[in-house]
Amino acid sequence: MSTPPVAVVGVGQTHHKSRRLDVSFGGLVREAVFRALDDAHMAMADIDAVVLGKAPDLFEGVMKPELYLSDALGAVGKPMFRVHTAGSVGGTTAIVAASHVQAGKHKTVLAVAFEKQSEGNAQFALGSGKGASLGAGGAFAPFIRAYIQRSGAPEHIGWKVAVKDRLNALKNPYAHLKIEDISIEKVKASPMMWEPIRFLESCPSSDGACAVVITDAAGANAAAADGRPPAWILSASSRSEPPSFPGRDPVRPAAALQCAADVYAAAGITDPRRQIDTAELYVPFSWLEPIWLEAFGLADEGEGWKLVDDGTTELGGSLPVNASGGVLSSNPIGASGLLRFAEAANQVRGAAGEHQVDGAKVAIGMAYGANNQYFSTWAVGSSLHPFG
Amino acid sequence: MTRFIESTITFPYKRSLGPVVGAFMTALTEKQILGIRCGDGVLVPPMEWDPATGAELPHEFVEVGPVGTVESWTWVPAPSEQHPLDHPFAFALVRLDGATTPLLHAVDAGTPESMAEGMRVAPRWRGSREGRIDDIICFVPGETAETEGEDTGGAAEPVTRMDYLASITYRNPVPEAADRATEASRDHRLLGLQCPTCARVYAGGRGLCPVDAIELGPECEVDLPHTGTITNFAIVTPVQYPGQTETEPFVRAFVLLDGTDVIIPYAAVIELPADQVRVGQRVDAVWASPAEATEEGGGMGGSWGSLLGWIPNGQPDLDDPDLVNRIF
Amino acid sequence: MSTPSTDIAVIGWAHTPMVRHTDKSETQLLMDAITDAIDPLGLTRADIDFTCLGSCDYITGQAFSFVSNLDAIGAWPPKRDSHVEMDGAWALYEAWLRLQEGDIEIAVVTGSGRSSTGDPALIYPMEMDPYFLAPLGADPLTFAALQARAVIAAGIADERSMAEVAVRSRGAGDVDTLLAEEYLRQPLRRHDVPPITDGAAAMVLATGDRARQLVERPAYITGFDHRTECHNPSFRALDDSPSTRIAAAAAGLGDAPVEVAELQAAFTHEELLLRRVLDLGAAVAVNPSGGALRDNPIMATGLCRIGFAADHIFAGGGRALAHSTSGPCLQQNLVCILEGRS
Repeated sequence: MSTPPVAVVGVGQTHHKSRRLDVSFGGLVREAVFRALDDAHMAMADIDAVVLGKAPDLFEGVMKPELYLSDALGAVGKPMFRVHTAGSVGGTTAIVAASHVQAGKHKTVLAVAFEKQSEGNAQFALGSGKGASLGAGGAFAPFIRAYIQRSGAPEHIGWKVAVKDRLNALKNPYAHLKIEDISIEKVKASPMMWEPIRFLESCPSSDGACAVVITDAAGANAAAADGRPPAWILSASSRSEPPSFPGRDPVRPAAALQCAADVYAAAGITDPRRQIDTAELYVPFSWLEPIWLEAFGLADEGEGWKLVDDGTTELGGSLPVNASGGVLSSNPIGASGLLRFAEAANQVRGAAGEHQVDGAKVAIGMAYGANNQYFSTWAVGSSLHPFG
Repeated sequence: MTRFIESTITFPYKRSLGPVVGAFMTALTEKQILGIRCGDGVLVPPMEWDPATGAELPHEFVEVGPVGTVESWTWVPAPSEQHPLDHPFAFALVRLDGATTPLLHAVDAGTPESMAEGMRVAPRWRGSREGRIDDIICFVPGETAETEGEDTGGAAEPVTRMDYLASITYRNPVPEAADRATEASRDHRLLGLQCPTCARVYAGGRGLCPVDAIELGPECEVDLPHTGTITNFAIVTPVQYPGQTETEPFVRAFVLLDGTDVIIPYAAVIELPADQVRVGQRVDAVWASPAEATEEGGGMGGSWGSLLGWIPNGQPDLDDPDLVNRIF
Repeated sequence: MSTPSTDIAVIGWAHTPMVRHTDKSETQLLMDAITDAIDPLGLTRADIDFTCLGSCDYITGQAFSFVSNLDAIGAWPPKRDSHVEMDGAWALYEAWLRLQEGDIEIAVVTGSGRSSTGDPALIYPMEMDPYFLAPLGADPLTFAALQARAVIAAGIADERSMAEVAVRSRGAGDVDTLLAEEYLRQPLRRHDVPPITDGAAAMVLATGDRARQLVERPAYITGFDHRTECHNPSFRALDDSPSTRIAAAAAGLGDAPVEVAELQAAFTHEELLLRRVLDLGAAVAVNPSGGALRDNPIMATGLCRIGFAADHIFAGGGRALAHSTSGPCLQQNLVCILEGRS
């Protein structure tokens, strides 16, 4: 990659809950921001620009909240930018923030994403206030049915993903859902939401925020010298495709394949399954894990479910996926994408605490939005040239 | 002649206030106005952070006012439905005694000639106070606070939440293609538009080809068959929210029209219970009678017009493993 | 840290007819604008490497409204693409950053909105402080009026010079006649406030060599910056625009004179304040396009300023400034400097 290298030197997030009644709008975001700054050993004054991402403003009824939050984010006198790419927005936020540094325009940039969706109602906002909203999962159930048919996957795969992510969440102090006694039986017995997706296979609705500090090579090296290894951003890409036209394949979307190809080519990843140590994939409904494993080349077409079935994607497996508990465990919609990117960064920084994947050197964070149309992905590494 | 659709997005948001705004709102119910110390100054309205630097402010509250001085103002001759008063009033920046920043609020001065920079104003309190900025209905000229209505006193508990009803009405144009599809549906025609470049056909009043990014006009119209096969479906268990119309699990099916590549997505079904819908099931279109036909259409809604949905026609199911992939 | 390349240029742009009200949907407007921007360059949508759209759900009246705007791009095969919930001027900023990475050559950015769709007086309070201002229905006209008072009190403007701005911008009207009108929101009169305009704009950005292949005289972006201020107008000195000053300095305004300045001044007093803050002398032609006072297609207004500034360069001009703004009382400001080369 010809652009100057940039890296993540600080990560912060809130304790995600269904309702953060203890904080105001600004309070929620600042909780994540100050944690990220502390992690980076920085103060607001060290930040040169702020990039904010969140999902539709209808979720909270505050239009263009980057305006209200300018001072809350310490952005007075600085550039403040707001991106919005549906569910992938958290990922796009990180990518655009990195772009600010890569362009040589700003040294240190804060990426922030959040949602305080308990102030509104997610289903209402998703349907723009109209009746018979499909709900969050209604759009994806048909895609999942098609995947199951194509791959011949057995019915328990979705349940296994749900159990895995919920067990991982128990090791993540910030995760929203912590279901101690999670089990296949419990998932199977939970109410059907959008056939075949059951309640315990679905993401929660969370209030939460995430913040990431991205800086240039000099800043990253300084952090490393200080015993705080950075996560080098090896590559990143955002790709979109239109919502609906004959020939579109939402189960193996071209935009996902292209996004993966962009990221792998720029990072020198030729064998994703072997070269990537762990992945944070945007899985709000269980079956999206095998779907994304395939679209992102971590499994051959039709084989993604086998990696779930044989334990490969468990925390102790050879390719842990969503060690943080993923979107299934915490879903402040605007922040969820950034959480994936941030957790991937933490893995290669060795900063993932109890859900650390041992020896992780290369990780990917991935987010998607709308009807499997918007894809944002980045690859991060503990060094700039992890493959020699 | 383009038709317009009016729609209103209304939602009762419920905000949590946090420790500073919460304290301010609680104090309002006690007919007290609080500012917060910020360096050498006293910020009104109080913020959790220093607006200049973003630094967290210690919770040093200072009671200010209730009387203040108008620093600047403007006259609102035709109030909107969101404004604090329904007759002409002034919006003013009022520097309450003891504050170093002004508070924006309404002043019920009667006429613009009664407004002046430097004039003194006092709050008109709402008798029944909830902990919202409009517990102060407005300010009035002079130094004597008033209370309108029976004074029910301060809040029993600290105020931590705030309601905000947002309601905006929009008028959006209905593209010609959508209207033509609706028109055709009155004659029980299912209209498609074929892209001259890629030959894809789009139904449901979609007047453009997203692949070639061109508009599709009436010359592209084709008639589509009324029989098809269910290729996939969603069974949605409804959740309650303001505006929700469903109470039971409902089906949205994908219908592949015979002899075409056109798929009607998220289609309503008729006389097809959720537990009986199958991939491969054969269905026919069901149309509203002229008496039933409404502006907004039937079960399908939007530009589907008189198309109410799809009903099983009793033909044997199509057995094709690839059907379920026909989603778009 | 390397500095951004100045070899990235605006090579063309287009806007839909600026009308009080259009029957076209936002997607249709965008489709037209994009086609009109790329056709004269001999480009097709397949040639576009990166797209970035600027639009606002609350203006359009639908969550995820930008998703249907994707249809206007022809994002198949899938495009590198992004979206900002901001004026297209900021979409241009994102594209400019992206092109710096050097792996792609052509970007198209858009700004779109149909302000006739809803009532700005009812929508814009929702962007204000949710606890203290939105519940009062504190609307943009009110904030503009309060800023106008401050600007007048500081001697930067008066009602007459404001009326002169209106006449100049719209190329019509008589100052004394205008001053005889009633106040709308004193000290603002109808002529001091922007029109409602439906419209969209699309702009093509290209890296150096490609730009030079495609057009005779690219408008190079030699400076580009934006800054924000604290939100609540109560906490700011309304007779100044410090973020504009900082952005302009960071964009290199001070390095050389500009011939033209296209300022997104939706209110007459804003133009006078911005002139003062940017220290634009009499030699600078301000808003030869008529500015936002003549046409105000929300979410595209700023992008259009950059477009008209680029037109000056295309026509042989040397250096131009474009400005865009967002938020109450000029809370956030963007400055873009364009230059031609001999």
